[in-house]
Amino acid sequence: MATMDKINDLYARKQKASLGGGEERIKKQHEAGKKTARERIQMLMDPDSFVEIDAFVETRSTEFDMPNKKALGDGVVTGYGTINGRLVFVASQDFTVIGGSLGEMHAKKITKVMDMAMKMGAPFISINDSGGARIEEGIDALSGFGEIFYRNTLASGVIPQISVIMGPCAGGAVYSPAITDFIFMVEKTSQMFITGPQVIKAVTGEDVTFEELGGAETHNTLSGVAHFKSATEEECMRDIRRLLSFLPDNNLSDSELVNTNDDLNRIIPELNTIIPDDANKPYDMKQIILSVIDNSDFLEVQAGYAKNIIVGFGRINGRTVGIIANQPQVNAGVLDVNSSDKAARFVRFCDAFNIPLVTFTDVPGYLPGVGQEHSGIIRHGAKLLYAFSEATVPKINVIVRKAYGGAYIAMNSKHLGADMVFAWPTAEIAVMGPEGAANIIFKKDIAQADDPVKFRSEKIQEYRDKFSNPYIAAARGYVDDVIEPARTRVHIAAALEMLVSKRETRPSKKHGNIPL
Amino acid sequence: MRKFLINVNGHQYEVEVEEVGGVQPAAPVIPAAPQAAPAAPAPAQAPAAPVQAPKTEAPKPAAAPVASAPAGAIKVNAPIPGTILDIKVNPGDKVKRGDILLILEAMKMENEILAPQDGTVAAIHVSKGSSVNSGDLLVSLNG
Repeated sequence: MATMDKINDLYARKQKASLGGGEERIKKQHEAGKKTARERIQMLMDPDSFVEIDAFVETRSTEFDMPNKKALGDGVVTGYGTINGRLVFVASQDFTVIGGSLGEMHAKKITKVMDMAMKMGAPFISINDSGGARIEEGIDALSGFGEIFYRNTLASGVIPQISVIMGPCAGGAVYSPAITDFIFMVEKTSQMFITGPQVIKAVTGEDVTFEELGGAETHNTLSGVAHFKSATEEECMRDIRRLLSFLPDNNLSDSELVNTNDDLNRIIPELNTIIPDDANKPYDMKQIILSVIDNSDFLEVQAGYAKNIIVGFGRINGRTVGIIANQPQVNAGVLDVNSSDKAARFVRFCDAFNIPLVTFTDVPGYLPGVGQEHSGIIRHGAKLLYAFSEATVPKINVIVRKAYGGAYIAMNSKHLGADMVFAWPTAEIAVMGPEGAANIIFKKDIAQADDPVKFRSEKIQEYRDKFSNPYIAAARGYVDDVIEPARTRVHIAAALEMLVSKRETRPSKKHGNIPL
Repeated sequence: MRKFLINVNGHQYEVEVEEVGGVQPAAPVIPAAPQAAPAAPAPAQAPAAPVQAPKTEAPKPAAAPVASAPAGAIKVNAPIPGTILDIKVNPGDKVKRGDILLILEAMKMENEILAPQDGTVAAIHVSKGSSVNSGDLLVSLNG
């Protein structure tokens, strides 16, 4: 073969590889409202930045019908490129090749780019669209899954790992996304579950659709498995690019400093009136977050799950911060099993990736109830305490209203190592609410009073005047300063600036034992 | 909603019997309570066999009201234990997603319970001042 023929042969092979499972199957993929593996990479990355590797990898299996089914690339497109000009590594499963099923070589392609992402300290994005383990390859497929999970775990806290579900993701396949930092799902076309509707029907008799069982809505509201939900694949890719703009490349670097043109000394008069005069009235905590951060640019994480706590990314003076805030508008903003889990995981992500924490506290307490106790609120609530205590990034807390009891401690209190704790004059920092406290302290007096109702309300008022304010905590230095709400942004920005050089070490250990 | 624990051959079953408020099949629900209630203390000394009888009976009345309930298909349950402070809608009212259905006071906070989607109020299953537990049916809508 002449040299030119060899070169032509190369391009013919590449052309064949680029078609994956062939034009017929690509058409089917499009008809299902889904893009192909390569189209997805093009949507995700900066134009013309993607460089593919391992396009010629094929399965080694000769069992069953595999020699006839096999295709160049073995059902996954891998490589690297840039997003917002920054290096990322990607693996995108190709449903047109044997249903995107994961075999030995398919997995080896994925683990190769994961290893590269680790060496280069760049985020890894995995686009999932697969029927699961390739049965024909038996235990080699299982080995492949295990190798991926192992690397997901080693990479955890070193590089940001993002999983994108754009088709089925079932059985063992779900555990790679589950270990990664963020899961994106697309409405109607993506599902995650351990066992599908047919198996569930056979085992428990329950009838459930794919979408009800493990669709984007389910995992973004009920299970808390997923973090983001998008209507279309295009929107999903935009969301991923936006998320990455807030994150650093790895655990040794900082997030990009962005020129947001938002005055760091901006006064926010409306914050002086946002807290209702009546402590029993809710308000929307999101308004506080949006007004304080740069240009109201807030990327909420797990927006549909455990809505009594809000977590997400924003910037203050151009620097990324992780925000955690109680939402009094939902379930009084209580800490419960799910909200503790949600917030604790977010705190640990931020701490791993050098993202300062800013909390807005308005929490009435941990949620009472048999259900909560039996679901392990002790164990789950402990995660939040653990996560805040463990975090060594700058920690700033703004107590805007209620901060009662154990929940006060859990919400980034001075006692858990917060660097700066601010309180608004509306803050109520105490061991418990005035009603409960009066009932306990004055139990006998109330019972013996001539007019118990009047006596009780007097005592409640007495307790409220004495203790439901920020000044007792401030007198002991548990609160560093009581500030005018309108000047919240100024104070946070100044504290963040002061904390840039923060160095705090923990006792050396293999790892802690967070109550999981 | 009433809960019963039933022991059969050492296995414990938790049976929930839902009383559909103000709707016609209230009658079959009431006898269910005394029928099922003795089942709990029974296993203490009684052998397994007699316990089995109430077991098979208990789920039946539970199923009946659900099957015939004219309550709306969209159920709004209490997200948190508390007291109903105010009811903002009446059966037959058209509501939009996000409209306030009722105010549930919990944790010293007036929590607004919102319509999860557009629809018509089919039935209100609680009254002003009543205490509810987490998961109790408050309002049902028809889409």
